Amino acid sequence: MLEVDHVRKEFGSVRAVSDVHFSIADATTFGLLGPNGAGKTTTMRIILGILVPDAGRVIWNGAPIHDESRRHFGYLPEERGIYGKMKVREQIAYFGKLHGLRDPDLRTRVDSWIERLGLTVYAERPCAELSKGNQQKVQVACAAVHAPQLLVLDEPFSGLDPVNAEVLLSVLAEMQKNGTTLILSSHQMWQLEHLCTRFCIISGGENRAEGSLAELRAAWPTRVVRTAFANGEGTTDSVVPAGSDFAAMLRELVAARPVTMFEVMEPSLHEIYLRAIGETVA
Amino acid sequence: MIEDFATVYVAEITRRIKSRPYIIGLLVGVIAIMLVFKLPSFLDRTIASTRTILLAGDPSLVARAKPLLAGDYDIVGTIASGAIDDAVLVRHHAGGAVALRADRAGLHVTIYAHDPGNIGRADIRNDLLPLQLELTTGRSAGAVAKITAIPVSLRTVASKFSSAGQALAVRGVTYTLLFFLYLLTVLNSQLVMSSVAEEKTSRIAELLVASVNPSTLLAGKVLASATLGFLQLAVWIGAAVYVGSSAPSQIHGASAEQMMSLGNVLDAVTPGLIAAFFVWFIIGFLQLSTLFAAAASLINRTEDIGSIAFPLVMPILAAFFIAIAGLAAPDSSLVVVCSYVPLLAPFVMFVRIAVSNVPAWQIALSLAINLAALYLIAVLAGKIYRVGMLLYGRSPSIRQVWSVITS
Repeated sequence: MLEVDHVRKEFGSVRAVSDVHFSIADATTFGLLGPNGAGKTTTMRIILGILVPDAGRVIWNGAPIHDESRRHFGYLPEERGIYGKMKVREQIAYFGKLHGLRDPDLRTRVDSWIERLGLTVYAERPCAELSKGNQQKVQVACAAVHAPQLLVLDEPFSGLDPVNAEVLLSVLAEMQKNGTTLILSSHQMWQLEHLCTRFCIISGGENRAEGSLAELRAAWPTRVVRTAFANGEGTTDSVVPAGSDFAAMLRELVAARPVTMFEVMEPSLHEIYLRAIGETVA
Repeated sequence: MIEDFATVYVAEITRRIKSRPYIIGLLVGVIAIMLVFKLPSFLDRTIASTRTILLAGDPSLVARAKPLLAGDYDIVGTIASGAIDDAVLVRHHAGGAVALRADRAGLHVTIYAHDPGNIGRADIRNDLLPLQLELTTGRSAGAVAKITAIPVSLRTVASKFSSAGQALAVRGVTYTLLFFLYLLTVLNSQLVMSSVAEEKTSRIAELLVASVNPSTLLAGKVLASATLGFLQLAVWIGAAVYVGSSAPSQIHGASAEQMMSLGNVLDAVTPGLIAAFFVWFIIGFLQLSTLFAAAASLINRTEDIGSIAFPLVMPILAAFFIAIAGLAAPDSSLVVVCSYVPLLAPFVMFVRIAVSNVPAWQIALSLAINLAALYLIAVLAGKIYRVGMLLYGRSPSIRQVWSVITS
């Protein structure tokens, strides 16, 4: 279990993170959302032990982050980096070694990731010769080769074509199934909506909303009711308070005229996100 | 921690030993060494051509002058008289001609040469002085030789050298080692800088510091570079020994005296000198390369390496020249003071140890100051490196760097 306990981080006069807090259960996928400059990357760096918070703490499995726990973490930063002259296999193996893997386990895992991500034909080629998408897959392999207990991915889908994005989605789903806790940051809400079990929306360096999608929706004050009638005039959307008696509403409509469609529409993650950060802007 | 260090260390060595800058540095060093050994014999031949002379004048006078001049000049021929012009010099392959004439006033010498300055008027005058005395005083050659043979004895005062030859040899060896020290320190520190800059600009730095402690990463890099520096040194010494061992037979007219000086050179390379070289190389290299690594972590473009390296190389360049001055005056105030100053001491103290008797307490004090400075540099550089590797966009101002150091 990971617990981010009211962390704060300043760089000189700039406060990157004011007060961020959330907790993540083991083997779940957590979405960290926020606009550019919200403090997501700084929060991720604090979780990984790259940065030390000025206040607050990060607890992993009941203990503060230390060098040994970091060995079980994996990270795919937003700023992608690669050793251009190093071969694909060497590069993945190097990061495996840095996380404590040794042969023959190391070789088996490197081969497995190369095959899993469709990099077999490029395995002995320098990374600089690969396309951007394939380089990104190498980076994913570098971050995940040691089967981390916690994998932090900052914008993992940016730069990937739809096919490779699907490959990555399935890989992440499989890792979660195998016990890895995932933290994802992405601006592609639809992907997160399907992948994550809980979310934290941060803006201006502090929490704006936190919870499962159901909890976030429950906190939404209104609902959109979409109706259609037999006269063929099309659909009509009405915004009503979230606590409305929808059964009574439907009964009233049916009593008045023939109804062909009655749908109470839940807010999407995208809407919840926009509202959460919109409050900050306001 | 140790495992991470070993992984970074091995990866750095594997990556860098194949890199173009390292291979080029290695080869340039070998070529420089070959030039250092071969150039003197080449220059010797070239310069010797201006010391080849033709003697002109009365045959008996020329016969008496010839042995006196033979020590400094290669006498390619003698002629009785006649006009001396370019054709005569070319015909005898001579760089110049020395025409002798004697009367009651003594010896008269005229030098003919394309460039008379190269013939050496003072040498001619000194060499022919016994003949002048013979002619003007009427004494025999033996008597004149007895008069001009001034007994000169050498007494060394508080010196570590037993002879002038040994002193000369040690200075030569120290100069060569100082040159190696400078080359190794600067070249390998710049390689550390390039390596850090490459990781920073290729944006892999963040992935690395998430995987391994930045201090371990920095230590692995710096010590891998030190190892490669030693490997470079071994190759250079091997090249020097190989070229040097074949040098005596090729040196033009190497005399028995010169061969003896080679013995002095071998005597000069004492275990103490070698130990001092390695100790001060390690301290100097670690100080400079750690600073270079910290500086490289602040840049965002590889093009900025030069501008950031220049101010850091300046003190090393100053140290090199002060150390050269120290070869001749190891106890001068400037040299003594600089032998304690971090970044300068590795060069200056090494030279002082090599060519003079430095009190043990001074060596200990300098070592203590420089090890403390190294610790301080490592702590500060570690802080800058840890933060610098994550800074992208605009390069940080000096104020921001200072706030990182003092945080």
